[in-house]
Amino acid sequence: MTKNKALLWRALAVLFAVTLIAASCGDDDEDAEVTAPSETAAPATGDDEPDAPTTTVEDVVDDTQDGDLLDTVLARGELNCGVSGSAVAFSETQPDGSQTGFDADYCRAVAAALFGDAEAVVFTPLTAAERFTAVQTGEVDVLMRNTTWTQSRDTEVGMDFGPTTYYDGQQLMAREGDGFSGGSQVADIAGAVVCTNAGTTTEQNVADAAEAAGIEIELTTFEDFDQVTENFINDACDVITTDGSALVGRKANQQPAGENWVIFPATPISKEPLGPTYGQNQSRFADVVNWTVYATVIADEKGINSGNVADMAANPPDAEAARLLGAADDEQQSNMGLAPDAFYQVIAQVGNYDEIYSRHLNPVGLTREGSANAGWLDGGLIYAPPAR
Amino acid sequence: MTATMGDPAAGAGPVEPWDGEREPAQKPEEPSLSAGEWLGRNLFSSPVNSLLTVVFSLLVLLAVRGLLNFTFSEERTWRAVKTNMRFLFTHAYPQDQYARIWVCVGAIAVLSGLSVGLLARVGRGISMKKLSMNLMATGGVIALGIVLREPSAIVDDEGVALHRDVSAVAGGGSFAGWLDANAFTVLAVLVLANVALALWFHLQGTYLRGGPEPRTAHGALVLVSVGVLIVQQYATGEVVRESFADAMSDRAWWWLAAAVLVGGGAALWLGLGDARRRNTFVPAMYVFFVGSGLMVLSAWVYPWGHYGFLEGEFINEPGRTVAMTTKLPWTVMLVLLVATYELGRVLRAAGAGPKLRVPLNLLWVLTPFVLYWAVLRDPDLDWDHVLSTDLPMAVFFAAFGGVVVWFLAHPRIGEAGRVMAAVLVAVAALNWVAAYFGWYPMLQKARISFLLLAVVALLAHNFAGDRSQRLKLVAAWVATMAVFHWLVTLVNSPSTVDTPTDALIGGFGITLIVAVFTLLLAFPMGVLLALARTSKLPIFRVLSTAYIEVFRGVPLITVLFFFTLIFNLFLPDNMTLVDIAGATIGFALFSAAYLAENVRGGLQAVRRGQYEASDAVGFTTVQRTLFIVLPQALRVSIPPLVGQVIATFKETSLLAIVGIFDFLRIADKVISAQSEFLGVKREGLLFVSFIYWIFAYNMSKHSQRLEKRLGVGER
Repeated sequence: MTKNKALLWRALAVLFAVTLIAASCGDDDEDAEVTAPSETAAPATGDDEPDAPTTTVEDVVDDTQDGDLLDTVLARGELNCGVSGSAVAFSETQPDGSQTGFDADYCRAVAAALFGDAEAVVFTPLTAAERFTAVQTGEVDVLMRNTTWTQSRDTEVGMDFGPTTYYDGQQLMAREGDGFSGGSQVADIAGAVVCTNAGTTTEQNVADAAEAAGIEIELTTFEDFDQVTENFINDACDVITTDGSALVGRKANQQPAGENWVIFPATPISKEPLGPTYGQNQSRFADVVNWTVYATVIADEKGINSGNVADMAANPPDAEAARLLGAADDEQQSNMGLAPDAFYQVIAQVGNYDEIYSRHLNPVGLTREGSANAGWLDGGLIYAPPAR
Repeated sequence: MTATMGDPAAGAGPVEPWDGEREPAQKPEEPSLSAGEWLGRNLFSSPVNSLLTVVFSLLVLLAVRGLLNFTFSEERTWRAVKTNMRFLFTHAYPQDQYARIWVCVGAIAVLSGLSVGLLARVGRGISMKKLSMNLMATGGVIALGIVLREPSAIVDDEGVALHRDVSAVAGGGSFAGWLDANAFTVLAVLVLANVALALWFHLQGTYLRGGPEPRTAHGALVLVSVGVLIVQQYATGEVVRESFADAMSDRAWWWLAAAVLVGGGAALWLGLGDARRRNTFVPAMYVFFVGSGLMVLSAWVYPWGHYGFLEGEFINEPGRTVAMTTKLPWTVMLVLLVATYELGRVLRAAGAGPKLRVPLNLLWVLTPFVLYWAVLRDPDLDWDHVLSTDLPMAVFFAAFGGVVVWFLAHPRIGEAGRVMAAVLVAVAALNWVAAYFGWYPMLQKARISFLLLAVVALLAHNFAGDRSQRLKLVAAWVATMAVFHWLVTLVNSPSTVDTPTDALIGGFGITLIVAVFTLLLAFPMGVLLALARTSKLPIFRVLSTAYIEVFRGVPLITVLFFFTLIFNLFLPDNMTLVDIAGATIGFALFSAAYLAENVRGGLQAVRRGQYEASDAVGFTTVQRTLFIVLPQALRVSIPPLVGQVIATFKETSLLAIVGIFDFLRIADKVISAQSEFLGVKREGLLFVSFIYWIFAYNMSKHSQRLEKRLGVGER
C-alpha cells in the first residue's frame, strides 16, 4: 500500500513539474483574444494552427509584432479608440451604451478616414489611471481622452501628441450675488473658500495663482467635481475652480434658479491643450490622425461642411479643397495609405471642426467666438497647415 | 399541500440521508401574550430598558424619516436611474439582442424553480400566525412611513419649488414654524419627559403591575413625540409645502397598500383561532410567489412611468406603466419560476428527487459557461473548421479516453494500470515540450485533452468497480470531453453581438459574471490549496503556504491593478489579456487564498479517528480525502465559505476602480457625466446599494438555512 501510494505521489509530482514547465512555455500560443478583439472571453484555450500559417490571424499577429500600426489597424478594420466615457460633452456614455461628444466624434472622424466608415470604432472607456498604459500596451490605437499635452508626458511616458483640438484652461467660478463678474481677477478672491477636486494639478495651479497675486485663500478639496459643485450649491464654497469647459457645463446644467454664476478670469490661469495621443514612433498612423484633425479645420476655414461636401467635391472652390476631398487627381491621401476620398468621408460622415464643436459644446454653453478655439482668421488658435 | 412537505423522499440526499426524515422535536408551546404584556415585558421591563427603548426608537424614527425624505424629495432626479436602468444592468448590450439576456434570466429561473421544488428541504413553511403578524407589521411600517415623510414641495410651471422668506416664518406665526425653529429643544424635552415618566412609574412600582393606566400615559407621550417628528415638517423651511390633507391624499396608493396589508393580516389573525394560527402552514415559496406576483402585477397597472433612451432620444412619460419590454419578460420569468417549482414538486412526489439531484447540480455548474459563451456572446461558428477539426478531435478523445478509462478502472488491473498511466503522463508532457520547441504541430486543446486524460488515468483506479461502475466512469469521461470541446469551440469563435465598446456586457451583468466565474475558479483552487497546505509532502506544503501568505498579504486592489494593467506588459507581443479576464483571474487567485484557509479550518476539525478508520478499511489517500475527509471538512466550513462568497460578490465593486464599467462605476461616474443628468449621483448610489443589499442579504439568509439543514454547530 505504502509503495503504491508513494508511486502515485511520485507520478503526481512529475505531472506537477511538467505542468509548470508547460505553463511557462505555452506563451507561443496565440490567444483567442487576438482573433476577436471585441470579445470579453476569459483566458481561453486558444487553437493555434502552426500548419496553417497563411490565415489572416497570422498576418495580424505579425503586424503587431514588427509591422506598422497603420497597417495593423487597416487590416483589423476597426479603430480602437480610448475615451473617458464620463466627460460631459467630450465623451458621454448614453443610456444605450453609445458614446457621444467631441472626443467621440474625433474617434469617428479617424475611423472615417481609415475605413470610410465612421462607425468602425470600438470605444474603450479608460480611467485617468489606465489611459497611458492602454496606449503603451497597444490596447487602444489612439487616445481621445481630454488629455493635456505636457512636456513630461510627451517625452517621458512613451507617447506622442497630435494637434490640439480644444484649448482649455483652468478658470474660477463664483456667484454674481457675492460681487463677482466676468471681469473679476484672481486678486478678487482674497479670503474666499476655494474648492476643487483633490489630486489634480488644478489644486496646485490655483495655489500658485493666488500666491502670484499676493492673496490668501482657503483651499478645500473634495474627492470629485460632483461633490465640489454640490458644496458650491450649498454655499459651503465661495469659489470653485477647474478647467473652463467643465465649469461652463456645470453652470449650464446645475445653476439654481435665481442665481447667476460667473466664470473668470477671461485669461485662464493655466494652459490645457487637449488633443489626440498615440504610441511613440508610429509616424504613418500619427499622420493619419493629425491630418484628419487638420482636414476638419481646413474644411471649416473653407466653409465645407457635411451638408455641402458633395457639391464641393464636385465643384471644388480651390485647388486645396480639391486635393483634400480627393477630387483632384493626385495622390495626397493615397501616399498616406488611405483611400483618395478619406477626408471627404470624414467631412460627410462626421463634419468639419465647427460642426463637431457646435454639435457637442454649444449645448453646454461653450462657444467658439472670442475663445482660443476660434479659427485663426477670427483671432483664435485653431490653425492647420496647408494641404498641398 | 402541507402533506407533501413532509415527504420522506425529500431528505434522501447522499450527504446526510438521515436528515429530513425525522420530525423535528416539538418545542413546548409558549403561552400567548397580549401586545401590551409583550411590550411591558420586553421593552419597558426596567428604567434602563425603558430609557433605551424610547431613545433608540426616536433615533430610528429620525433616521427613517431622513432616509424617506431623502429618497422621495423633489430634489431627487430618479428619472436618471429609471432611464439608465438597462444601462446599469447590462451596459452597452444591444437592445435588438436583448432576448438573450432574458433567455439567461429564464434559464436561471427554470433551474431555481426546479431546484427548490425538487430538492429544497422547506420544512413546514411559514405559520399563519407569523404570516399575519408580518403582513400587519409591513402595513404598519408603510403607514408610519407615509405620515413620517415630509409633504411634497409646491412647484411652479417649470418644476421649480416655490420658496418663502425664511425669516418671516422663523419669527413666529404657525405652530409648525415655531416647532421647526426649536426642533432640537422640543425633541430633547420630549425624550427627557419620556424618561422621567418611565422612571417615575417604575419607582411607583406601577408600570408593570398596576393596571394599564401608566402604560397608556407613557404610550400617549411616545405618540406625542412621534407626532412632533411629523408635524415639524409641515409649513417649515424655505420651501413651500402642501398641507397635511393634500399630502395624505397624494399618497392614496400607499395608503391603499398599507390598508390591504394590515387588513389582510388582521383578517387572517381574527379569522383563525389561536390553535389554527399556530398550526396552519403555507410554503415559504408561495409567500414569495404572491409577493413577486403583486410586484409584476403592479408593473401592468400602476403608472410607474415609461423611461428610456432610443435612437438618440430620451423617452420621458411619467403617466404610463413601464415599458412592454420590461413587464412582459418579467411576467414570463415569474410564470416560468412558478411552473418549474410546481413541476419540481410533482417530480419530487414521484420520487425523482434523489435521481435528479446530481444532474441538476451539474447543470448549475455548467449554466454560467453556457449562458455566457453560447447565449450572451452568440458565437459565430466556423462550420468547416468544426466538422474538419473540432468534431473529429472530440470524438477521438471521447473514444480513446473511454477505452483507457474502461481498462484502468478494472479492479484487478494492478501495475499494468500504473504503467499505462505513466505512459499517458509522459505523452501529455511531451506534447507541451514539443510545442515549445516546435517539433510537431498539435492544437492546444488537444494538448489539454491529453493532460486531462493523463490526470484521469492517474486517478482511475480509485474509482475501480464492477461493470456498471466502470460504464458510469466512461460515460462521465465522454460527457466531459463533449462539454469541454464544445465550450472550447464556442470560446474560440468570435462573438456576433456588436456593442459600441470593447466590452460585451457591463453593469450588474459583469458584477454577476465576475463573481460567479471567480467562485467557480476559486473554489477548486481553494480546496486544492488547503489540501496541499495540510499535506505531509513538504514541497506542496511550502508552495501552498507561500502562495496563501503572499496573496493574503497583498491588498486586493493591488492584485486587480496588476492583472488588468501591468500583466499585459509581461505577455508576449501577440497576446493580450482582456480586462475582465484579468480581473476574474485576480479575484480568483485572491479568493482562493482565503477560501483555502477556511477549508483548512474545516480539515483540521475532522478527527484523527476518521483518517485511521478510512486507512483501516483500505482506502487510498485520494479515496480517503474525497469520500471521508472533504465532505466533513466542507460541512464544517460552510459559514466562513458563505461569508467569503458574499465578500467576493461585494468586492466586485472594485472593478469600478480598475476601469471596468461595472454596476458601481456606472452609477458613480457615468450617469453623473451624462449631460442630461449632470451631477445626479446620489440616486444611482442609493439604488446600487439597495441592489447589492438584496443579493447579499439573500445569500446570507440562504447560508443560515444551509447551516441549519446541515446542523453546523449542533452536531
